[in-house]
Amino acid sequence: MSKELIKGNIAIAKAALKAGLKAYFGYPITPQTDIGEYLSYEMPARNLAYVCAESEIGAINMALGAATSGEKVMVSSSSCAVSLMQEALSYACSDELPFVLVNVMRAGPGQGYIYPSQGDYNQAVTGGGNGDYKIVVLSPSTLPEACDLVQRAFYISQKYRTPTMLLVDGLLGQMAEPVEITESKYPETDNSRWVLDGAKQRPAREIHSLEPSQYKLNQHIVSLFKKYKEIEENETDWEEYMTDDAEFLITSFGSMARYTKSVVKELRQNGVKIGLFRPKTLFPFPSKRLGELSLRMKHIIDIEMNMGQMLKDVRLSVLNNSVISFIGKPVGDWLKKEEMIGAINNIIKESYASI
Amino acid sequence: MNKNFIISGSGGQGVISIGGILANIFMLNDFFVSFCSCYGAEMRGGAVNCEINMSDEELFCIENEQVDYVVALNQTSFDKFISRVRENGTIIVNSSLAKINKARDDIKYIFAPLTEMAGKLGNIKMTNSVALGVLASLLGNFNTDNVKKAYENVLKNKNELIKKNIDAYLLGYNYIQEG
Repeated sequence: MSKELIKGNIAIAKAALKAGLKAYFGYPITPQTDIGEYLSYEMPARNLAYVCAESEIGAINMALGAATSGEKVMVSSSSCAVSLMQEALSYACSDELPFVLVNVMRAGPGQGYIYPSQGDYNQAVTGGGNGDYKIVVLSPSTLPEACDLVQRAFYISQKYRTPTMLLVDGLLGQMAEPVEITESKYPETDNSRWVLDGAKQRPAREIHSLEPSQYKLNQHIVSLFKKYKEIEENETDWEEYMTDDAEFLITSFGSMARYTKSVVKELRQNGVKIGLFRPKTLFPFPSKRLGELSLRMKHIIDIEMNMGQMLKDVRLSVLNNSVISFIGKPVGDWLKKEEMIGAINNIIKESYASI
Repeated sequence: MNKNFIISGSGGQGVISIGGILANIFMLNDFFVSFCSCYGAEMRGGAVNCEINMSDEELFCIENEQVDYVVALNQTSFDKFISRVRENGTIIVNSSLAKINKARDDIKYIFAPLTEMAGKLGNIKMTNSVALGVLASLLGNFNTDNVKKAYENVLKNKNELIKKNIDAYLLGYNYIQEG
């Protein structure tokens, strides 16, 4: 298989098909419409289920129904439309139904516009549905990684029976770079003990979130959180770039983190001992490792394309009194290398002045 | 090596097509490459531009304030993107649709009547491929098979169209080579 130059949205759709996608439900919204458009040709041609739903609410509830089959199910949407899906996400967590939700972020709040943004970190990680639940959130920084992570999202969602989100920046969805779409390297799971496939020669099964027994409801939620703990132990993932001897640390996620590598590289050439810490899983957040790293940092600089959302998780992870600064802007063109270097140099100057 | 490019024009001029072909040429020559496109409000007639970055190392920044090469296929894009050319960088301007004007003295200019040249080949729609040929000749010698493969990757099975566009590409390429 050779490399091809394709848009991020198409790459994600292709990688999902390679992972064994069986059913897709969606409703068009920029900047992710290419995913549904591409699949609208490819899936019917392969006898797979493709539905362009009447609304985003329809799409995600169809996904809930399809997920009871244990097959690989995907929904894709963007920011303000993902807001509409929050109720169903809460239900899916309680029902323990696995599917992948691809969220290609655009600018908010409200309708916002189609400019790129990372403004939905909070919505993705803390959720907008009711009750105690967590969504596993994977965050790619490049297109080859987006292809890997969408396949991993299917694996995690099926293994732990939980909805999993691929949180993609609009920039990644729309840009193109060479990718090689490969078969999924993640193992298949056996779903036969819980799927609703007809109760012939076995007792009937039920999947619902309604639970009138106080005792049972408590048990259920506690068991969900045992599962989240297990996910945290097994699936937490991150990347470190030039952190070995770093005294200053940038924290950043998604495609913004990719830009900050150029900042690290240039500041290193000027003798600044700086590195990058990039979570690949936003939930579970790699708090333990960031905490360890924080112990030897003079200063931590969080850089995001929002007003400081991951910043809260960074603060919760840091184990000493490290000073934490934030550089960011809410929407539009990604921060340029020169802007970030200027801001970081000022922070470093102040940091030395205070020693 | 690290080079970046902006290709700009109006919707319908094939800006995104040649941007994709250029990016494919780099990919087929084993470089790291990124390709970002930006559309105006309307497809045909609106402003369109794309940015291509190539490097022999992994690419981190995929959008740059200053670029090494700008291709401007009309007056509006010439006016808009001249400020984005890096010092000592080059701007290629379609002089069929833009006035010759050297407003900056720290960059190199190539004014070529790209639309007229494409017209001589029989179709002004191939202005974009003439421009790509001009740009390619400044970058060195690309393997012709890779150029053909890049056209096939973008234009798929339209064999007749690919052949005509490669003729247009070569016309642009030789325009510079022959001075």
